[in-house]
Amino acid sequence: MSNSYPTSKSDGWKFILLRHETVLLLVLAFEWFYFNSIGPRFGTLDNTFDMVRHSVEIGLLALVMTPIILTGGIDLSVGSLLGLCAILFGKLWRDAGLPIPLAMACTLGIGAVAGGLNALLITWLQLPPLIVTLGSYSLFRGLAEAITRGVDTFTNFPPSFLVLGQERLLGVPAQAPVFIVIAIGIWLLVHRTTFGRSFRAIGFAPDGARYAGIPVERRVALVYVLAGVVAALAAVIYTARLGQARADAGTGYELFAITAVVLGGTSIFGGTGSVHGTLLGVASIAVLSNGLVHARQPREVAGLLTGVLLIFALGSSALAKLLATLRARRQTVPTNIQSKQMP
Amino acid sequence: MKKLLALFIGAGLAVATGCNKSSDSPASISRLSGGGKKFTIALMPKSKGNAYFISCKQGADAAARELGVDLVFDGPTDPDPAKQNEIIENWITLGVDVIAAACENKEGISTALRKARQKGIKVLTYDSDAAPDARSFFVNQATPEGIGDTLMDEAARLCGNDGEFAVITASLTAANMNEWQKHIEARRASKYPNMKMVALRPCDDLKDKAQSEATALLSANPNLKLLMAICSPAVPGAAEAVKQAGKTGRVKVIGLGLPSENRRYVKEGVTDSVILWKTKDLGYLTVQAAVALAKGELKAGVKTFKAGALGEFEIHDDNIVLGKPFIFNKDNIDQFDF
Repeated sequence: MSNSYPTSKSDGWKFILLRHETVLLLVLAFEWFYFNSIGPRFGTLDNTFDMVRHSVEIGLLALVMTPIILTGGIDLSVGSLLGLCAILFGKLWRDAGLPIPLAMACTLGIGAVAGGLNALLITWLQLPPLIVTLGSYSLFRGLAEAITRGVDTFTNFPPSFLVLGQERLLGVPAQAPVFIVIAIGIWLLVHRTTFGRSFRAIGFAPDGARYAGIPVERRVALVYVLAGVVAALAAVIYTARLGQARADAGTGYELFAITAVVLGGTSIFGGTGSVHGTLLGVASIAVLSNGLVHARQPREVAGLLTGVLLIFALGSSALAKLLATLRARRQTVPTNIQSKQMP
Repeated sequence: MKKLLALFIGAGLAVATGCNKSSDSPASISRLSGGGKKFTIALMPKSKGNAYFISCKQGADAAARELGVDLVFDGPTDPDPAKQNEIIENWITLGVDVIAAACENKEGISTALRKARQKGIKVLTYDSDAAPDARSFFVNQATPEGIGDTLMDEAARLCGNDGEFAVITASLTAANMNEWQKHIEARRASKYPNMKMVALRPCDDLKDKAQSEATALLSANPNLKLLMAICSPAVPGAAEAVKQAGKTGRVKVIGLGLPSENRRYVKEGVTDSVILWKTKDLGYLTVQAAVALAKGELKAGVKTFKAGALGEFEIHDDNIVLGKPFIFNKDNIDQFDF
């Protein structure tokens, strides 16, 4: 799924071992077995479902952040947009009297418009995504606070709606199938379509991509609008999980999402990365913060260990690549020079 | 494709080994604490770094040691309003015996607390309540009547039962403040008819606004003997105004607030008394009540409850009331660090 496929069959296994995703998978497996060995309830199905429920919203944001970062962009506004969509969803249902499904659909529409605003400023005015979304980060949160004047809280949603966030359907948390569908959709988009290839091309060299005939502006606009829609979906799920919508919903989620994407091996400069890497990133953070509770460790440690995890995972795969390059270079050096250098 | 295969095998392995434990569901209680009847009490603050709750925890630790129970203290460390729910859900899975929570989001947390009760975990709230159907009891730190009476009694004592005073509140619409205000007025009318309230001013919960309001009150009412601030930022605000006007000692300051925010003014003699409850006692009482709830001694209809070293407490409906607020002054304020 990356840009450098192995050249011969014999390189295959070494290549797999060196991949960032493999390192991350090992880390995840280690976390799982470690917490399972000390926390008697850690490995239960109930707890697994707790982890899923608690990470769906951040997971959705991380999924949709992946194509954005692949294009060399960033979206700092997704957490604020989650808050704005949550309270607008509440307003549409409670004050405008719309039925829940219609309110949901409108909320997704609002998310698309908000994402469209980011897209417009980035592609049309050619402003840097960091600046644009830093602005909308404040704008969306500010709007949410202004609309509710910081105090209005939407609650008493019908139980049939709360099922989406709190109950199980067919034995799994109700939001899990939604997450899986979105995950598969974005995986296919990034890894199995020409769109996905164009995201990477744009991330590597936007001008090159433009000369190659890729409609850069349209593709970039697409990923930000998609982020808006998915952030709105996350807002609806969040509201169902908590049973309330308030202007502070999703505070700080943008950074959790970006952390998961970067931990998953996507380059912050764009061009390389994968959706399954992001999923592994989300999972290792979720397992870590949940596992610490079962290990009876204070919650503050979670932030610290996430940092250590990030540095370890990124550092070790960078180191592995460096060693491989060094070895490859040494093998190609003629023998007489090599003997001089290393007596 | 090989790496994908490896990925799926690995993930499958992890899930398979994890899930084979799913048969033992959370019904059974207190297995975590290693056999016997050692209860696990989970105590949640509104936020973990808050000095108020750290002080609650000291009392809670003392009660847990006395009663020989495990105390888990955890709460949000960031402003994410979903965190309290996540921690509660983790506790449900952990299978704690009792959850005692100070609720940041009344409605939001109630859904998680109801779920805990469905799973057989006992739930009580302290400091700030959840929806009544989401918990068995609320450990109430102070009734509006207790707060109003204590403030008025202290004001009358300092003024010698005679003279003018003014009140600074957060806003004229805040429900809890209006309730306190009502009890202050009732106490004044019945016990201190010579005391006269000359003004009631809002400060929007801002210290600098409280200071400018207090300055205006001081110049408009030359006979003013006392300023009563009933929201916490207003107490140091009023004290600063009195100090800057050079009226230290001639105009007294009292109010509802944290000892730490007012220590300086109390020591300088600007503020006479700060009124709050003993947060350590609140933590102690909460854990005592939690254990009694776990043992089944505390249940609906019980009228009194004995909480270790603190003695008997009355129960009004489903409220366990900590009692009269405590008065912090020059003599005792150094013993408190919240």
